[in-house]
Amino acid sequence: MRPLVLPAAAILAIALAGCRGPQSALDPAGADASSLASLFWVMLAGAVVLWLLMNGLIFYAWRAKPRPISSKAARILIFGGGVVFPTFVLFFLLAYGLSMMPDQRAPGEGLRVEVTGEQWWFRVAYWPEGASEPIHSANEIVLPVGVRSEITLKADQVIHSFWLPSIAGKTDMFPGRVTRMSLLPTEPGEFRGQCAEFCGESHAWMAFTARTMTPDDFAAWVEAEAAPAAVPETDLQARGLDVFLSEGCGGCHAIRGTPARGRVGPDLTHLASRGNLAAGALKVTVPDLIAWISHPEAIKPGAKMPAFDHLPREDIAAMAAYLESLE
Amino acid sequence: MAAHEKPDLPAHRNLFRMILAPTIWAIHFLLAYCTAAIWCAKDLGDPDTLTLVVTGYTVAAEVAIVFLGLKMWTQWDYLDDYDYVHSESTDEHRREFLGHAGFMLACLSFVAVIFNTMPVWFAGTCL
Ligand code: HEC
Ligand SMILES: [Cu+2]
Repeated sequence: MRPLVLPAAAILAIALAGCRGPQSALDPAGADASSLASLFWVMLAGAVVLWLLMNGLIFYAWRAKPRPISSKAARILIFGGGVVFPTFVLFFLLAYGLSMMPDQRAPGEGLRVEVTGEQWWFRVAYWPEGASEPIHSANEIVLPVGVRSEITLKADQVIHSFWLPSIAGKTDMFPGRVTRMSLLPTEPGEFRGQCAEFCGESHAWMAFTARTMTPDDFAAWVEAEAAPAAVPETDLQARGLDVFLSEGCGGCHAIRGTPARGRVGPDLTHLASRGNLAAGALKVTVPDLIAWISHPEAIKPGAKMPAFDHLPREDIAAMAAYLESLE
Repeated sequence: MAAHEKPDLPAHRNLFRMILAPTIWAIHFLLAYCTAAIWCAKDLGDPDTLTLVVTGYTVAAEVAIVFLGLKMWTQWDYLDDYDYVHSESTDEHRREFLGHAGFMLACLSFVAVIFNTMPVWFAGTCL
């Protein structure tokens, strides 16, 4: 027994460490995730009790050499334990689970965020309360804490699924159909979400970051996000913008405040303020930007952006420097 | 008896009665889900009214299922001879077997119809 204790404790510690972190349904930072986590613990506790009960019975029958019981008692045991008991357990579990659902899908109270699943990134449009035009962004969801926000879900070519486990459960996104959910973050923090429905080669590279903040911080963030992009400050950055425009990047990408207006790929206006590059595949750093622009497919198989490794290295580096300045 | 009139099937040959209760369960399922889908898509009004309508289906279905269950119980006539095994190929055993199976199916259907209704009771919203 003794020598097993340490390895067992180590395995348990590793397993439990997996319950923490920015993408864990068991480390909730949102109202809906909290109720899902308690649902999980209740179910787990019930399952453990049942497991012990059943295995206890097996052990009793097998090892404890039981005396025979009367056939009437046996019938009560089988009918009671096999029919009546499970029926009631299922009834209460279903009632408990179902009664959680209306809250999970309650309507939002102001902000609406429209998220569209693309291959393989998330198009994001913020509609603050009363807005007549959305603020375009991508691959990051920013939400105020303590307010329920409405999330409208769409998809471009294929089915995706929107999953931000720290805040709530998941909802599928369908081409040609609008689905919805609502998110009520309860703690400020940084989280990670993931497409949860296989959607092609780079499905595993389709993630997003999420930030939750106090309503005041959020108001400031909305203002900054709605503003046009930073103007190049150095010669290198200015050259980067020139190359960006002359190489036709603007045909697919928009950078507000510049002639780049494309809507095929992600909006890059405030790229550097996002916590990730290319839907979670990379970080917004100069080396990562160079790697991405040179050869997107080397990072995300099938990526719908052409490689630009035929350009001079200095041009790519200049674009990287410019994009990295777009706070 | 006129030639075109079918005689009533004797109980030991009537399979239909045995599956009638599960059939009611299936119809209840369809009705409940179709009503809810149309109600919510066409916005026919308050979800509470929908809950009432579906509960109405449930009451009707359960009354029918209880009635059928009692008939099956009589057909089995367990209290008559306490027959639990019906292994002989006689009319009586067939009749009791069908009654026995029909009775248990009716019990199952009774519970199932309640489970069908639980979504409107515990999550009665169109969202
Ligand atoms: C044919 C359209 C197209 C062109 C042209 C194009 N891109 Fe892209 N770009 C995309 C698509 C689509 C994505 C998203 C790919 C993904 O994440 O799977 C993307 C992603 C990016 C990203 C990451 C965005 C984010 O939200 O993290 C950057 C940066 C980028 N492109 C820069 C450029 C630059 C610089 C050029 C010009 C040299 C360029 N793109 C040209 C379509 C294009
Ligand atoms: Cu996807």
